[in-house]
Amino acid sequence: MMELVLAPLRETYFQKALIGGSVVALVSGVVGCLVVLRRMAFLGDALSHAMIAGVAGGYLVMKLLFGLEAHAPGMLLGSLIAAVATVALISFVARISRVKEDAAIGIMYTGIFALGVVAVSVFRQYIHIDLMHFIMGDILGITDADLWVSGTVACVVLTVLILFFRYFQIATFDPIMAASIGLPVLLLDYLLTTCVSLVVVSAVSMVGVILVVGLLITPAATAYLLSDRLDKMMVLAGLFGVTSVIGGLYVCVWLDSAGGGAIIVFCTLQFLAVWTLAPKYGLLSRWLRLRRLVPQQHIEDILTTILRSRAAVPREAIATYVEIKPKEMTRALRYMLQEGLLAQEGAGFALSPAGEAEANKVLRAHRLWETYLARIGTPREELHATAHQLEHLSQDAAEYLHEQLGELRDDPHGRKIPEMAAQQEPPAG
Amino acid sequence: MGTDSAIAIDVRHLTVSYQSRPALLDVTVAVERDQLVGVIGPNGAGKSTFIKAVLGFVKPDLGTVAINGQPAQKAKGQVAYVPQRGAVDWDFPITVREVALMGRYQQIPWYRNPGHRDRQAALEALEMVRMQDFADRQIGELSGGQQQRVFLARALSQGSDILLLDEPFAGVDAATERAILDVLERAKKSGKTLVVVHHDLSTAAEYFDKLILIKQRLYAYGRPGEVLREDLLSRVYEGRLRIFSDIVHREERP
Repeated sequence: MMELVLAPLRETYFQKALIGGSVVALVSGVVGCLVVLRRMAFLGDALSHAMIAGVAGGYLVMKLLFGLEAHAPGMLLGSLIAAVATVALISFVARISRVKEDAAIGIMYTGIFALGVVAVSVFRQYIHIDLMHFIMGDILGITDADLWVSGTVACVVLTVLILFFRYFQIATFDPIMAASIGLPVLLLDYLLTTCVSLVVVSAVSMVGVILVVGLLITPAATAYLLSDRLDKMMVLAGLFGVTSVIGGLYVCVWLDSAGGGAIIVFCTLQFLAVWTLAPKYGLLSRWLRLRRLVPQQHIEDILTTILRSRAAVPREAIATYVEIKPKEMTRALRYMLQEGLLAQEGAGFALSPAGEAEANKVLRAHRLWETYLARIGTPREELHATAHQLEHLSQDAAEYLHEQLGELRDDPHGRKIPEMAAQQEPPAG
Repeated sequence: MGTDSAIAIDVRHLTVSYQSRPALLDVTVAVERDQLVGVIGPNGAGKSTFIKAVLGFVKPDLGTVAINGQPAQKAKGQVAYVPQRGAVDWDFPITVREVALMGRYQQIPWYRNPGHRDRQAALEALEMVRMQDFADRQIGELSGGQQQRVFLARALSQGSDILLLDEPFAGVDAATERAILDVLERAKKSGKTLVVVHHDLSTAAEYFDKLILIKQRLYAYGRPGEVLREDLLSRVYEGRLRIFSDIVHREERP
């Protein structure tokens, strides 16, 4: 078992993949947080697709002008230029034409991607780029040059993000305030776009054009479900990026699958697991919260049942009037004891002063509704049932009826309508 | 700052246009210090352009905006801005304390972390709006009025004398409206000038010391009684006058 974990670690290709992948995933997780919060996920896609044109252009220029074969810095610069040009084109088209931004992104990134594909195939005697490598990535075939590129990119981007963390935070959260205190918001936007481009460029060689967005977005989104502070979110996102690479690489070696695919599958599973289990924003906790929620109607029905009998009422007696499932009854009673609406008296439940006030409010609403219903000609036998439904409407409704009906004392059955309780002070906020 | 005059915001002959359509036309108004000023006018009247001009975001075709005697475009940070509730992403991973601390960002050089004094100032601002007990909550967990108060705290911690609020009363209930107004009053007493974009004419007279009535051009600036006049409102709001007769009368009572 141990051997299964240790054996790949002795292989150079695996070590390189692990180091390179982790560095790239760490930085893309961190920068991805800003991408997620600014809703620029599509931009990552556009950038990665634009890259191929840039790489082809860079390759061609270096080869034709300087005679250098597959010059890495040249291709890097080319893809950066292509990325920034794509972003500029997108915002230009979205601003000037009636075409909206999402469509503009779709047009531009496919267009520039296609241009790259055409260029690579037309100049195939000059350019030796493997398109498949580009689209799928090849993390296990990572070269030392790739390692250097990704290491440098990670250092630069992390330095920028850490140094200007506060500025990125405020420009993302409230650009107007950022501008009002004199921050160069537009410049920060360009700086961030450049950072994203750098990260995308260094990640494409590992996971490929198509999956790079996953590396950018998914760890950040996973962290988003767990944190209420941007700095914590960034740390967690970096961590999730690294765990995706480690987990994905082992999956890849064990199953002998494609590297990029395995990483993103692992990353997505990680997201799904966190989404299910997250303590605050997770599915499970949401479900538990909903389950624990006691419907106001149950509470009000129990209160009025006890009020009407004017004494402590055993649970079985309550159950004959309030028709809810035994489980729901247990939950409602426990909740009401906790909230101090009820008090246990011997075998039964009695109203606390707070509970009695609450119950009187509901009863008052009930009788006002009955009076009103009788006045608009509702058949007498339907009065109670209809009023029973309507009594749960807000207090305002009851007061409206009270005004409409004039100062009434008795309901149609000749019973007294409880006075309105002294107005409670509205809660702050 | 550098001026002893009683004028906080001095707008002269301000004309701003988008293409050929004037958003503001020859607006001249001088807002005195320590006032709670409401900006009213129908939709599309140029209220938001007015705000942008005071924040120094727009380049006027003509005219000047001076903040404490300085041109608005150079007076960055002297006007603290409180955004509309709808303009904020309430799911953003940020706590109440961090939002209040944001007000200090301008004073902190980029190479330094927020220090003890900054944290203290942020906390004091939160105390002023009575939100200190919520300091570690994520902002989305608050009620509408509480959210509004947190952004007020941010504006207060900025230390600016002038606060600019964009529709702080939009979409809150009456009790919350009171609570927010209470904070505005206290900010005014502590020596702030507050300019508030306001939609509800029926409360305008009650809430503000002065009103600015604009629709492209300035129709009136003065005490509510001088601004909420039937002839002015009928010109600005055109056919929809009848509903205002009630406001106008109430204002005429001594």
